[in-house]
Amino acid sequence: MSTTIDETELRVLLARAGLPHSPEQVRAILPGAEIVQRMLARVNAPLPREAEPALTFDVEQK
Amino acid sequence: MSILTIAEAAKQIAARKLSPVELAQTQLERIRRLDPQLHAFLLVTEERAIADAKAAEARQMSGSLRGPLDGIPIAHKDIYCTAGIRTTAHSKLLETNVPAEDAHTVKKWTDAGTVLLGKLATHEFAFGGPSFDLPWPPARNPWDTEHFTAGSSSGTGAAVAAGLILGGTGSDTGGSIRGPAALCGIAGIKPTYGLSSRRGILPLAFTLDHAGPMAWTAEDCALLLQGMAGHDPLDPASVDRLVPNFTADLAKGVKGLRIGVVRHFFETDHRASDATRKGIDDALDFFRTEGAEVRDITLSPAADYHAVGYLLMITEAFTLHGPWMRKHFHDYGELFRDRVALAATISGPDIVQATRRRRMLCQEMARAMADLDIIVSASQPGEAPKIADLPKWVNMEKPSFTMPFNVTGFPAISICTGFGEGGLPVSIQLAGKPFSEPTLFRAAHAYETAMPWRSNRPAMAA
Repeated sequence: MSTTIDETELRVLLARAGLPHSPEQVRAILPGAEIVQRMLARVNAPLPREAEPALTFDVEQK
Repeated sequence: MSILTIAEAAKQIAARKLSPVELAQTQLERIRRLDPQLHAFLLVTEERAIADAKAAEARQMSGSLRGPLDGIPIAHKDIYCTAGIRTTAHSKLLETNVPAEDAHTVKKWTDAGTVLLGKLATHEFAFGGPSFDLPWPPARNPWDTEHFTAGSSSGTGAAVAAGLILGGTGSDTGGSIRGPAALCGIAGIKPTYGLSSRRGILPLAFTLDHAGPMAWTAEDCALLLQGMAGHDPLDPASVDRLVPNFTADLAKGVKGLRIGVVRHFFETDHRASDATRKGIDDALDFFRTEGAEVRDITLSPAADYHAVGYLLMITEAFTLHGPWMRKHFHDYGELFRDRVALAATISGPDIVQATRRRRMLCQEMARAMADLDIIVSASQPGEAPKIADLPKWVNMEKPSFTMPFNVTGFPAISICTGFGEGGLPVSIQLAGKPFSEPTLFRAAHAYETAMPWRSNRPAMAA
């Protein structure tokens, strides 16, 4: 997956989440968004199909 | 009066050689004198402290002390709800918030007889800091007030190191107990997930939040955790199991313990400072000399643990704060707002993938620990940086040494291993199997009592 994000894409994602960042504020968090993209590439590396999430559904809900 | 540990004060109180009221007054005087430079306290509860201390003294005189925490001056991180006492999370949003009920752990410490001195600085909602755009300034490091305390239990770290309190509460979602413990040169333990209740503590991330104590020594942390741990049926993550005696094994030494060193974490994944690495190597030499078996182990890169933990943390935080952030965007400090807003760039499948990878990392660590008692790593990459020099994305840029144990929920303690550049503290992190806190306290206590570091307080506290 891509490990980059540009300002336009970030602005759209923040707006979709309902966050009212100004253009200057979007630019200010772009470096952080780029670090998140690198983290996402790391967690999205292929896993075996049978790998379950850590928090699997528990029918007893103890 | 010299600064006492909790263990020392408890013995003197039990022997009627120390008045809880005089001890509380001494601490309040220290707060008045030193806190204007440290900003560790958001609120000092002087009347409550004196009332608590008088009640403890009455029990002392009538021979009905409740245990080693009776009469001990403490304070709570300001995300721990305190009935009738302002609880702000260091945020403008909760500037006037007065909870109706105590957090479960606050009540347990109150019932144990502790003396409440006040509420302590944190990073905003235990995440956004150090910030200079909040109603209160960030806490300063008593070893050098130009330097960072780490966070988010920043006020607790500063207040314990400067001797303003004998112990206090912290919370740890990615290292917020162990980080300030490390940079302030004290001890702090993140217990096993579920060992201490999170109810009444303002949440940051449900699956990563841990409540734990911070104090000058590991022994004091053991005493404090004893008063904090235990099943809470109203916290869905709370475990229902017998709480062990955390001080029972303190004198056993480290002979026979099997210690694995995740050397790649602090040598290659994120190279720690010279003094940090020397402190760890010296500690390992001590453990070997005392009869422990020490060997290197390999885990996944620290960055894998960090990515999983960080992405889950900001997404869970955004789940909680999103509604407020949309309505009160400008009432948040910039750091909290911008760090949590990054969750908007994370998709549903990303989170499922992170939770799948989390399971694999938990299994990997459990396998690694199968024939070990302790895993050793650094707590922090080095000595405290200057607070003015911290980049905005400081907690993201390089992998954390503490996050792996939030991801897995395994217990981990940070203790001081001496002093590095500028006379600032350095530290080591000892982690264990789930519910092996007695073993961690045992090793940490053996090390602390053999080394001279616990006799060295910050100059301002002398």
